[in-house]
Amino acid sequence: MLNMDIVKAGFIQQHLGGSLMQSLQRLPGVKTIGIGSGQSKPLIRGLGFNRVVVLDRGIKHEGQQWGADHGLEIDQFTVQEVEILKGPASFTYGSDAIGGAVNIKRPPLPAPQTFGGDINLIGKTNNNLLGTSINVYARTQRWMTTARFTLQDYGDYRVPADRLYIYDFAVDLYNHYLRNTAGRETGLHLNTGYIGDRVKSIFYLSHTYSKTGFFANAHGLEPRQVDVAMHDASSRDILSPYQRVNHFKALNHTSFQINQHQLELESGFQNNVRQEYNHYVNHGYMPAIYPDSLGIPRNLERAFDKQVYSLHLRDHLQLNEHKVEFGLNGELQHNTINGWSFLVPAFNQQSWGTYIYDKWNLTQKLLLHGALRYDHVHLAMKKYTDWFPSATTINGQTQQEYLVRADNINRSFNSVTGSLGFNYNTNRWELKGNIGKSFRVPIAKELGANGVNYHYFSYEKGNTYLKPEESYQLDLGAAYDNAVVRIQLNPFFNYFSNYIYLNPTANHDYFYGAGNQVFEYAQARVMRYGGELQVKYQPWENLSTEVLGEYIYAKQLSGDKKGYTLPFSPPASVLFNITYRPAHTGIFTNTYLSVDYRVTAAQNNIVPPEKKTDGYTLLNLQAGTRFLIQEQQAELSLQLQNALNTRYLSHTSFYRLIGLPEQGRNLVLSLKIPFSFKQATQP
Amino acid sequence: MKQKQLLTSLLGLLLLIAACSKKDQDAIDTTYPEIDVLTAGAFPKQCSEVQRGQSFTARIHASDNKELGSVSIDIHHNFDHHSHSTEVAGCNMDAVKTPVKPMVLIQTINVPGGQTSYVAEQTIHIPADVDAGDYHFLIRVTDKEGWQTIKGLSIKIK
Repeated sequence: MLNMDIVKAGFIQQHLGGSLMQSLQRLPGVKTIGIGSGQSKPLIRGLGFNRVVVLDRGIKHEGQQWGADHGLEIDQFTVQEVEILKGPASFTYGSDAIGGAVNIKRPPLPAPQTFGGDINLIGKTNNNLLGTSINVYARTQRWMTTARFTLQDYGDYRVPADRLYIYDFAVDLYNHYLRNTAGRETGLHLNTGYIGDRVKSIFYLSHTYSKTGFFANAHGLEPRQVDVAMHDASSRDILSPYQRVNHFKALNHTSFQINQHQLELESGFQNNVRQEYNHYVNHGYMPAIYPDSLGIPRNLERAFDKQVYSLHLRDHLQLNEHKVEFGLNGELQHNTINGWSFLVPAFNQQSWGTYIYDKWNLTQKLLLHGALRYDHVHLAMKKYTDWFPSATTINGQTQQEYLVRADNINRSFNSVTGSLGFNYNTNRWELKGNIGKSFRVPIAKELGANGVNYHYFSYEKGNTYLKPEESYQLDLGAAYDNAVVRIQLNPFFNYFSNYIYLNPTANHDYFYGAGNQVFEYAQARVMRYGGELQVKYQPWENLSTEVLGEYIYAKQLSGDKKGYTLPFSPPASVLFNITYRPAHTGIFTNTYLSVDYRVTAAQNNIVPPEKKTDGYTLLNLQAGTRFLIQEQQAELSLQLQNALNTRYLSHTSFYRLIGLPEQGRNLVLSLKIPFSFKQATQP
Repeated sequence: MKQKQLLTSLLGLLLLIAACSKKDQDAIDTTYPEIDVLTAGAFPKQCSEVQRGQSFTARIHASDNKELGSVSIDIHHNFDHHSHSTEVAGCNMDAVKTPVKPMVLIQTINVPGGQTSYVAEQTIHIPADVDAGDYHFLIRVTDKEGWQTIKGLSIKIK
């Protein structure tokens, strides 16, 4: 088994951040690529974007995860249990799980003959967030329904700075507010289904919506002069530039029990629509005045619409000491684009894979496991021609040309992957090792990008001839536990024979690139290693201390950036924790007081276009308790994040390149009050 | 006893890994190229004025610790006061106006190989019929490794 962390809803409640991944980034080896106070996506052992799969209730979550300004469209209040797999997991989750997986489990079913729910109230002082998440459940013996509604509304977030410099351009902040970083989000969820003795089938419907502003004084790397009076009139309004993201899901999970077989069928439809709104700016050769005849809304800079149909069939089989899982995955994707700015072509994608996974209990202490998988992916990109002409000079004559940015291109990929490993458990020791090959097929952006990303002053150029990424990884794990001390060490070594990355070249392109620096997709050999160390020491029942450390090193071994690291490499860090759980607190139970002190090293190992990031220390405090309201256990959690109001930069933030500091001091309050109309009868 | 040995060797391995990583960080170049817009020969400078129907020579003073890559220049209107300017001193700006025929110029200037310091020169003709007013003169310089430095100057076309 791979190195895995399991987190329950209580952890998320205790460490509640602005988004799911921000709540989980306390875990060693888990970081985020964040944008603003409410959005982030996973970065596992330094790999993110399309190298981490997020599995939501059995189905791969598909958004626009290739984008740095994209956040994971998951309502964190729905999450009851999540598994974080640190390491390549392609053999069960397919392409993209080359760096790891975040597996959000199906929520547990309500107990039979119950009817109740809970209300969660959330408040945060830094961005003046107000939120609520209301959950209702009901179940007869065989039928169940649960529903949830989440609403969060927050203002601009505050940083410990009065003045920022974007390049040398000075930006004065009004009352420490980062202009236009406010947002609001809603989540609607309905689950319903039948629970039989042999057959179980549950439908999951959900819709999440968010509207968030981008920092007004810079869009990407480009400094902007803004109407300060207009922006500072309210810290809660969302003006240009901003993005709107809708994500709809309809999933089903059905399982049957037939003899020794347990069959599971997971199917789903998803629709992700991301729209980026911005004032029209005539970059490069675009006309000075926006034409009315274009048929694209004047403020719609980019839009991506993704429709995904997924199917996953699994059979679990117990054969003596063997536990065998056989699976089939299929996915159909239909992607369209809109907006006056072009970056990635529209495309269709079909993929399917099949795998077999065997767990063999050789002895009581020793378990061997192995997996083998085959995948086929077909991608068809659509032609795109600029809506405006670009100028070129041929033999002294200036000519105008409508550039073809992308052609109709088809690519197919096949791949065979596998893994082998062992687990050895004694009373106090747990040792494990795993060696495996994983893969990832190039995405449409890597194959077909051919446009100027004006947020980065970069002309991004895809490469149709890219091969699927292949990765070989050795994972080791050793844990020792004697009830007072628990020590766990998880080192890894990873080799990519052809890692795909966006290489900033020395060249500028005046025609396709409108004078911008050429960033070209290329492949290189890459070596990575690192690991996590976790030590927990509990001398007394009510006091425990914890040390969580993480370290990653990456180096490109060939190509144009030989010797450099990979982009978004998180710096080493160590977290020290002390938790006190008083035993006798009267009407209050499960009370805790906890201090997290994180020391993060500087990141000087960088690759163009990154900047070196200084080290920093952060202090977070958590406290919580439970008490009875109407015979129901209410849960109160308090957090003081960045207690010392430290000014620091996060190396993996979207806003790092323009030097925006992270959120200042933030008091987070959350209160969860359950209610019940009908309780399960005690047997 | 055995357990202690195992634990010690595992911690030793971790230290070894951490020690190995220090080695070759000095070998890579992490220095951005530089653009000197203040030096005597550089043109245009912040708030420079150029005339319609005439030509001027842009002189970009670029340097890098190892080797320069290329230079790109871009002239576009700033009638909406959108500010790419990276220079601290503001210039006297005309009122905000709607462009009719703004000048657009995008040009790349090749730098010969092996240069650590280079003055890129380019003659630029300003057509007589373009809109007069506030413009940005954007300079982008890369080095061989792909580091890029950008300078944005405010200029006026008279």
